[in-house]
Amino acid sequence: MSKDGSANFFTTKLDVLISWGRKNALWPLPFGTSCCGIEMMASLCSDYDMSRFGAEVVRFSPRQSDLLIVAGIINSKMAPVLRSVYDQMSDPKWVMSFGACASSGGIFNVYSVTQGIDTILPVDIYVPGCPPAPEGVINALMRLQEKIVAGETHSQRREKLAQGATQSATQSAKG
Amino acid sequence: MLETDIRNPIPSNGGDWITKFGDSWKTQIAQLKTKFGNAIEEVRMLPEYPTDVPIVYVKKTSIIDVLGFVKTEPGFEYDFLADITATDEEIEPRFEIVYNLYSLPRKWRFRLKVRLAEGEEIPTACGVWAGANWAEREIFDMFGVRFTGHPDLRRILMDVRWVGHPLRKDYPLRGYQIFPTAEPINTDILK
Repeated sequence: MSKDGSANFFTTKLDVLISWGRKNALWPLPFGTSCCGIEMMASLCSDYDMSRFGAEVVRFSPRQSDLLIVAGIINSKMAPVLRSVYDQMSDPKWVMSFGACASSGGIFNVYSVTQGIDTILPVDIYVPGCPPAPEGVINALMRLQEKIVAGETHSQRREKLAQGATQSATQSAKG
Repeated sequence: MLETDIRNPIPSNGGDWITKFGDSWKTQIAQLKTKFGNAIEEVRMLPEYPTDVPIVYVKKTSIIDVLGFVKTEPGFEYDFLADITATDEEIEPRFEIVYNLYSLPRKWRFRLKVRLAEGEEIPTACGVWAGANWAEREIFDMFGVRFTGHPDLRRILMDVRWVGHPLRKDYPLRGYQIFPTAEPINTDILK
């Protein structure tokens, strides 16, 4: 309470508060396999400074990170590695497909290259370019933040589906 | 001394090989022909054939003898196996196994080739060079050519679940095989 007796607090929905916290504390895991990794480093460094959006704490352990940035070509030998890294990340988790190679295979339309990482794991945001400019990365990060607020990412959808399943199960058990 | 070096730079391949080693190569090939006779099928060399080093086609049955001979014989001394590779010619005999040899003391090179039909096996060179092991595994992985007597003939680059051999000319260019799950661990190699 303030001195004049007015209420000095604000109310919010818990979901909004949680998603606000999530979107401003994205800890990226850099899965940089090619030249896109250099652009990712540039966007993390002081000129472009991704820390303005709360995404500067780069973690090399999948257990400690939220955002998997796949920056570069993923060949078929690397695909199971990437998938196991994704599986080891704890929910909620997000995936950014960084550049042409990660998004579609890029120029490497051959037997040994995955034609887009979305063939092996769900991708929330794609960044076009070969390699993308840091501005593109920051744009993608801001779009991802919007998606997190709206609850439209793959991870959040899975969460909602699981909640719905448990609710309907308990209701049917009661009924 | 320095000025001379700048005006006459030595190319990285050691200069014009045919003027430098041409006579030595000719005597070597003559020596091989007298020693192995009919096992030497064909010789390709400058100026008749546009190649940097002489190419000697050897019969499959005597390739290991020839490799052992050129490795140790004085006047040859090809003591370094640069690479073993293969080509798919699409017509029978379909495959060519290529042995690229190098001499560390003499700095000269040599190339031996063996023609192989589809489904044919070739004896392994692991007895002559231990380094042939992985090169031959790569050829098996990429072309499906089997090496008799190889100690450990497994795929080396592709996934163990891969179907087909991707560097064969009849393998589809876009024959993607993506495995999202990890490769099964081979516990035999830990023993």
